[in-house]
Amino acid sequence: MATKPVTKPVQDSVARVNNEVAVGEDLDFQRKWWRFENAAWAFFTLIIVLDLAGLFGRGPIAKAERRTADGTIDVKYERIERTDSPSIMTIGFGPSAIQDGKIQLYISNSLVKSLGTQRVIPSPQDTVIGEGGLTYTFPATKPPASVDLALQPSGPGIYDFTINVAGAQPVHAKIVVVP
Amino acid sequence: MSTIIHAVFGYLFLLLIVRLLSRRPGGQLTLFEFVIVFLMGGVIILSTVGKDRSVTNCATAILTVGLMHWFVSSVKGKYPRFGAIVDGTPLTLLKKGEWQLEVMKGMRIDREDVMAAARTKGVSSIYDVAYAILERNGAISIIKNEK
Repeated sequence: MATKPVTKPVQDSVARVNNEVAVGEDLDFQRKWWRFENAAWAFFTLIIVLDLAGLFGRGPIAKAERRTADGTIDVKYERIERTDSPSIMTIGFGPSAIQDGKIQLYISNSLVKSLGTQRVIPSPQDTVIGEGGLTYTFPATKPPASVDLALQPSGPGIYDFTINVAGAQPVHAKIVVVP
Repeated sequence: MSTIIHAVFGYLFLLLIVRLLSRRPGGQLTLFEFVIVFLMGGVIILSTVGKDRSVTNCATAILTVGLMHWFVSSVKGKYPRFGAIVDGTPLTLLKKGEWQLEVMKGMRIDREDVMAAARTKGVSSIYDVAYAILERNGAISIIKNEK
């Protein structure tokens, strides 16, 4: 036996305008929605302003610089990065960083793995692994001298990193990677 | 996994933005509004599939968006208030010879839009319009004066 279809008698429950046209208007709800709309656009404007300022990376707030007290290392980087977006970290060296015509630069594993170092510019003469990171050796003459790391973080998070040069104070800092 | 999260976020975010942009994108699409629809669609797809352009990843994104749409439609059918949040409610723009200025300003609809809708119904004078109603899909319904 066939199943009987489910039915319901028609009822005119839609609100009428002037008791003539069934529209279903709800002006009170609409007024609340307009208030929400205004608040949402104000919030979006704030987001854009904060973005221009660099709170989500690529702006003045995002730029950071760390320097050791003796001036051996000067690191310029973005304290706020974006996932999968490339950026450059520049490591400048003072006179005491150059020993025997070489600079030995240590970077922690977090810079390579979490923060996604894609390239080291210029290419190091030698790379040694150990102590939770990599130690690069660059032939060097006199300052100013610098090395660039091309970063491209693979995922969001807060990552600590350490940079050091043989015989100097290490630089510790954090980078926030937004989605 | 990340594709699914991105697709869910993209769907909800786009739903919110399109809803906030008033109803015209769904109804009377002008060239000006085509820009918004195409640009937003193009931008959201970049973050949804990312660098993984495999068939598996794209199919997962499509399935996720489809499921989200099915879910939102189901909840809309069950809870009319949620339906009002997602789609809005119909609004009267013109009532018995009086423009409803609060609604027109709030919905950013001008008199020319109402007249354009009237012309599509074969109405040549605004005095022949008894009611103009902005529907949930963005279209404007015209009810003529009874002579």
